[in-house]
Amino acid sequence: MLRIRDASVTFPASDGQDVHALDHVSLDIAPASIVVAVGASGCGKSTLLNAIAGFLPLTEGTITLDGQEIVAPGGDRGVVFQKDTLLPWANVLDNVALGLKYRGVSRGERHERSRHLLELVGLADFAEKPPYELSGGMRQRVGIARALATDPKILLMDEPFGALDSLTRETMQQLLASVWAKTGKQILFITHSIEEALTLGTTIVVMSPRPGRIVARFDADFVRDFAESGDIGPIQSHRRFIELRQEIRSLIHQPEGARTGTLQ
Amino acid sequence: MTLAANSPTSFPPAKAQRKASLRPRRPASTSTFGISLVTLTGLIALWFLAARFGWASPLFLPSPADVLTQFGAVAADGYANGTLLDHALASLGRIAAALGVGIFVGIPLGLLMGLNRWVKGIFSVPIDLYWGLPPLAYLPLLIIWLGIGETSKIVLLSLSTFAPICFAAQAGVRSVPVERINAALSLGASRLQLFTSIVLPSALPEILTGLKIAIGAGLSTLVAAELIAAQSGLGYMIMSAANFLATDVVFVGLIVIAVLAFAFTSGMRWLEHRLIPWKGKL
Repeated sequence: MLRIRDASVTFPASDGQDVHALDHVSLDIAPASIVVAVGASGCGKSTLLNAIAGFLPLTEGTITLDGQEIVAPGGDRGVVFQKDTLLPWANVLDNVALGLKYRGVSRGERHERSRHLLELVGLADFAEKPPYELSGGMRQRVGIARALATDPKILLMDEPFGALDSLTRETMQQLLASVWAKTGKQILFITHSIEEALTLGTTIVVMSPRPGRIVARFDADFVRDFAESGDIGPIQSHRRFIELRQEIRSLIHQPEGARTGTLQ
Repeated sequence: MTLAANSPTSFPPAKAQRKASLRPRRPASTSTFGISLVTLTGLIALWFLAARFGWASPLFLPSPADVLTQFGAVAADGYANGTLLDHALASLGRIAAALGVGIFVGIPLGLLMGLNRWVKGIFSVPIDLYWGLPPLAYLPLLIIWLGIGETSKIVLLSLSTFAPICFAAQAGVRSVPVERINAALSLGASRLQLFTSIVLPSALPEILTGLKIAIGAGLSTLVAAELIAAQSGLGYMIMSAANFLATDVVFVGLIVIAVLAFAFTSGMRWLEHRLIPWKGKL
């Protein structure tokens, strides 16, 4: 269980006015759930993820993972970045095996486990290729396999499909849903696409900027159907899906004054 | 008449025709080897012609045949206290020693300067200060301190190869993308693992670029130093020959230096190809 309590992150700005990137955010991520944070640019969703990953210290509040406070990056939290961060000098298999290598897992064993993960993401035939010979979507799959290799407690995904074309994006969403169904990992997923949030999330939190905070949360269950059927069409035309999409959209596009007014 | 020419409002005819004529061709070869070979042959032919028809006095421009004869003579009997091989080896030994110092001191120090604020703070000012000086300006000082022998020359050359290598290693460390470091940390890398598996390989392209600059700087400093103060080496041989107006020997020396420089460049290119085939690809 990942527990976020009153987490705030403040950046000093050049004009002396501090930027409240994250303002007293509290959130729980339960095992086997996909929490999707959705919001406009600057709403603090990436800041939240970076704080959980340990890349960014909190100004206030605490984040604990299974009771242990997070103070630095660590192998118990796998991160998938928007831009892939694969090592160009290593082939796909060694990239996936990197975290296992850091743990001192023997060469034979880490290659075996990495091959298994490459199969899971559908890249078994590309193990020996250098990453720069792969397409953007394939590289993100390698990134997911790499993050899963060390069997982290939680998977943190920072707009992982944001840079992909819409067709590849759908394939990747499908892949993630099936990987989630198979592994039961808890996942925090950041996106600015409302459809993506509803398709993938078991919980959707809507965030708003200046200061970055959670303005609403919804539970959804479309991802289970999606993982089973692999067909996005019927899900996105579901009445509940359309209603939620409209609700979230109006929340995100609400004028700032009105929003803070209703909350306080 | 082409289709484009029929509709000049949408296609300027000239452009359209050029496009059409380019389309059926195979993708152009990127190799320039053949072109370069023709240029080289052309230059040598020009040299032959200039000597053959006496466009310049042999004192200024000896014929290729003279230079070739002199090459054999210098190689076999020697010139200015040594054979051509002796001089070449003396020069190569100096540059090898200097590159050794540059690599074994410059890379570790540069990496440390990239990693640690204190090391950078302490060393960057002295290195910046001396690196701005033309090496030949402080050669006299080195001779006063260390004598006219090998030591002063090797120190001079080491100073000129050390700085570019050191700066390159430092820049290499600083150029590592922060996402790459974060990714490794979230995969559980220790500080040592982070350095060996991420920082060092990421810095390698910059370090090799620095090495290329160092070889260039070292070679030009070497010959200049030998012209001024030496009893052996290619620069010394050229200077001695020039004092006796033995232009053909000067040519022999210059050609050997050019070939050495070319060999260094090709060697570096080969090394880059072997070590960092991924450069600029991700």
